[in-house]
Amino acid sequence: MPKIEMYRSALDAYIGERYEREELEEKLVTAKAEVDEWEDEEGILKIELNDTNRPDLWSAAGLGRQLRVRRTGERPSYNFFSAPGKLADAGERRIVVDESVREIRPYVVGFAVSGKAIDEATLKDVIQSQEKLCWNYGQKREAVAMGIYRSELMRYPVRYRGADPDEASFVPLQMEEELSLRRILSEHPKGLEFGHIVADKPRMPLLTDDRGDVLSFPPIINSARIGAVEVGDSELFVEMTGGNLEILLLACSVVACDMADSGFTVHPVSVEYPFDTPYGRTVVTPFYFQEPIRVSPEGAGKLLGVEMEPDEVVRRIEQVGSYARMDGDEIEVQPAEYRNDFLHPVDVYEDVMIGRGMDSFEPAVPHDFTVGRLTAEEELARRVKLIMVGLGYQEMVFSYLGSRRDYIGRMRPEPVDRQEPIDPPSRGIVQIANPMSENYELVRNSILPHLLGAETVSANAAYPHRMFEVGKTACVDRSLNYGTRTDDTLGFLVADAEASFNTLRDHIAVLLYYLNLDHTLAANDDERFIRGRRADVLVGDRTVGLLGEVHPQVLVNWGIEVPCVAAELRLTALPV
Amino acid sequence: MGADADLKRLHPLEVKVLRSYGAEDRLTVARMQEELGFNEGQCNQALSWLSAKEYVQEEERRSRVYYELTDLGRDFARNGIPERRILHHVSEHGPTPMAELGAAVGLEKKDVGSAFGAMSKAGAVRMDDQKRVEVQEPDQADWVETVEALIARAAQNGSISHGELSEADARLIGGMSKKRGAQGVPFKVVEREDVTYRLTDAGLTAARSAAEAGLTGEEVGALTPAMLRDGSWRRVSFREYNIDTPPARVSIGRRNPYAEYVDWVKDKLVGLGFEEFDGPLVETEFWNSDALFMPQFHAARDIHDVYKVKEPTHAGEMAQPYLDQVAATHEDGWKTGSRGWRYGFDRDFTRRLILRSQGTVLSAKTLPEAKIPGKYFGIVRCFRPDDVDATHLSDFYQTEGIVLGEEVNLRTLLGFLRIFAEEVAGADEVKYVPGYFPFTEPSVEVHIKHPVLGWFELGGSGIFRPEVTEPLGVSVPVLAWGLGIDRMALMQLGLGDLRELFSNDLEKVRLRRRS
Repeated sequence: MPKIEMYRSALDAYIGERYEREELEEKLVTAKAEVDEWEDEEGILKIELNDTNRPDLWSAAGLGRQLRVRRTGERPSYNFFSAPGKLADAGERRIVVDESVREIRPYVVGFAVSGKAIDEATLKDVIQSQEKLCWNYGQKREAVAMGIYRSELMRYPVRYRGADPDEASFVPLQMEEELSLRRILSEHPKGLEFGHIVADKPRMPLLTDDRGDVLSFPPIINSARIGAVEVGDSELFVEMTGGNLEILLLACSVVACDMADSGFTVHPVSVEYPFDTPYGRTVVTPFYFQEPIRVSPEGAGKLLGVEMEPDEVVRRIEQVGSYARMDGDEIEVQPAEYRNDFLHPVDVYEDVMIGRGMDSFEPAVPHDFTVGRLTAEEELARRVKLIMVGLGYQEMVFSYLGSRRDYIGRMRPEPVDRQEPIDPPSRGIVQIANPMSENYELVRNSILPHLLGAETVSANAAYPHRMFEVGKTACVDRSLNYGTRTDDTLGFLVADAEASFNTLRDHIAVLLYYLNLDHTLAANDDERFIRGRRADVLVGDRTVGLLGEVHPQVLVNWGIEVPCVAAELRLTALPV
Repeated sequence: MGADADLKRLHPLEVKVLRSYGAEDRLTVARMQEELGFNEGQCNQALSWLSAKEYVQEEERRSRVYYELTDLGRDFARNGIPERRILHHVSEHGPTPMAELGAAVGLEKKDVGSAFGAMSKAGAVRMDDQKRVEVQEPDQADWVETVEALIARAAQNGSISHGELSEADARLIGGMSKKRGAQGVPFKVVEREDVTYRLTDAGLTAARSAAEAGLTGEEVGALTPAMLRDGSWRRVSFREYNIDTPPARVSIGRRNPYAEYVDWVKDKLVGLGFEEFDGPLVETEFWNSDALFMPQFHAARDIHDVYKVKEPTHAGEMAQPYLDQVAATHEDGWKTGSRGWRYGFDRDFTRRLILRSQGTVLSAKTLPEAKIPGKYFGIVRCFRPDDVDATHLSDFYQTEGIVLGEEVNLRTLLGFLRIFAEEVAGADEVKYVPGYFPFTEPSVEVHIKHPVLGWFELGGSGIFRPEVTEPLGVSVPVLAWGLGIDRMALMQLGLGDLRELFSNDLEKVRLRRRS
């Protein structure tokens, strides 16, 4: 969820009214936004936006527009949009696309602005929406990368082509020497961050002007000359590249509307493709591509649980910025130029809800009768927990993730620093392919490492220690569709100078007695425990758990200086 | 009140001393032993307690000589003194050779020798011509009975005071005693201080209070099974305890307060007619996100937002017809009335194994088999690749549920949120604001007012998009909700750090309790 910063004065100007904090917070609700940090000494405000399908709200201009429309009931009109079959005259402002980008990053859109010198607040807002659009909506530049240029330094038409990464070179922003595209990928910070998007392509996207001067290497970095925009510049060219034309067109519309709202005159740009696009070979942008959506007034009433006249539904939709009109029994809705979030009529119904305001909906008491019930596994878990508490154990709640060191290294009866590494999946442990930290790399297949981990940090607690947990464990099991299995498991441990196998044997006996199960023990060779003091627990022929006196080297590996006995029962395996 | 409290601190031994003596009495261990029937240890204990309370004070301290039995002396007390043993054996078995006598009476040769020497000198025994010991005139060994009496006296009282002996006895016992490391003699000489105490004014006051309270010092400490059997409890009174003594710390078997709280929430939800669901920790992209109509390119489905399983990487087949229907819904909306996300659904990616990142997975999985009307919930562990800190964990519980039925709409949704706020969070003030979740439309957040912390978000909810329900075979509206119970658990337990809920520290867990 994007967080944006803006000058409070800029937001006030876009809204057309200055709201104090409480009032602003109330108004922001209709944009699914909330104040994250109130105005600081520099007058900057931080706002969190919750709707990931409304990138038009991620700027002071866009957020201000939403609140302004609601305040005044007037929708802005933008005269620079083309639409299917209705292309604006772009004059000399052309982008010529070369066939070579078709397989690498096929689409580009753009527009130019003029008419005022860009001020600090606007530049900040534009750069921020560039970042937020490209990161959150543009899938971290994969789908949208945006560049802004000083258009008086360039000559149309702009050319978009695939370049040889070793031959093409220019001076990128934040650097002083000329680098080849390939060197930019390995040496420029943005190359390192975003290079993976194009790194495997034989040719790489490049934007130049008619003279061959480089505008940028999308989606990586602008040139240090044409692509370095500063406060005071008044003639600007904006472009965006990516692989999905609809996403690009919406991003383009959002930024164009923002700049128009900030006082610029927006000039269309004509993009000429040598291949077919969903909107033809010549696309003049900004381009209104959104299709109307038909919704029913009854549908809105049913979903929202209220009765509304059709004209109220129309009014509510328009209050949130779109265009609506009755067409027979249905309403045809034209999304605002900067929106494309109506996938289904329910999306429009939500606008009706927001238009009406939450206070207009009285909570209703539900009447359907249903039977409440816990799962059988939960009921068994509760029986087990009650018995464990009766036996004097303290229940613990542990993490389900851990490290190789804890789950494998420390559990082996040899010093940790003298072990050959073991591959976790080979031990049936579910391993995370993309861990954030080695501390949380494995899903536990046993509770015992956590019990020993707890003992390690609990030497200050009065002895004896009796701890248990009932929780999930998981393991690799290739016989199942998911290739893995999750079990409900009981683990328990006694740490005490007097701790012995017999104590746990007795506890297991009484636990299984109360669960109405007969069990037997069979010596096992689980190396985590002392030989001759370890056993499997069987119910019938089925091994359901184990117990033993923890091997002294394992205790040493954990830094534990008190004898421990531990046991584990797979509750899922119990025939209860 | 003060006097009463003081009285309760008096042990029966103290009461008995206070009540038995007056201002003029001089208290010594010996006197108390004789008059009160205490043993020496009880006397010392009572005097020490009374001194600490300043109810008695020391009057005089005098050094005295005592004779105590040695190991040998105790043997004599048990088995007889050598003279008696020799006389007894020889009278029973007739003349016995000197060499055999030691073994016969259980004495060392030198002890037999010295006893024989003394008795023979007195004319009580003699050696016959075959070197056998025989009785001559037993009464001549007149000291034998005296020695026996002294030993018996010492055995009974623990010691004999030098001052209590006649001159003759003192001379006799002196010949049988040594000072330190006494060996080979039945007595050792001990010097001890005899202290005399008297009652103080405070002691006399306490004695009067005890008398007024009816305390005799005969109170019984413990009720025994024997007293119950023989009825003697009826004739005794029980010592009153000092109930102000601080209790000892006890560590008991106990539920974890966080888990207990989770169970409490579960019980609340069951009480509201919700049926519990559960599922595996390892999930597929299909159920974790695809079935929830989150496009496969969605920002929240990034490698930075979901843990992927290293091995195996993919599940087998996804259940049909749900796979086809979900895929079609992503691509063009299928029959749901949606335009879909308009991209090619990746049927390989959908089988990718991951760790469940949201509880809503189980809501989706429940839909194909759900009853209508139906209410379901789960409190389940979820996993996210977050840097672990006070407000983020790698794994944590999410509380999620659904309601299916023709009556589900925005107003019943608000009705449920109000019930949750009142029943689960105990809130009076509730506020609803529009929210955003990829799988619900409309979406509503519920905020409640905490008396101290002010407004905060209790949970999110919404009505599942038709793109979620219809491909899974459900045609009625479905309300989906989630509650942030961890925040309430922290408040209940007075904690400020989510990591504390999963604490490894036994001492902390033992001390923790609900507020």
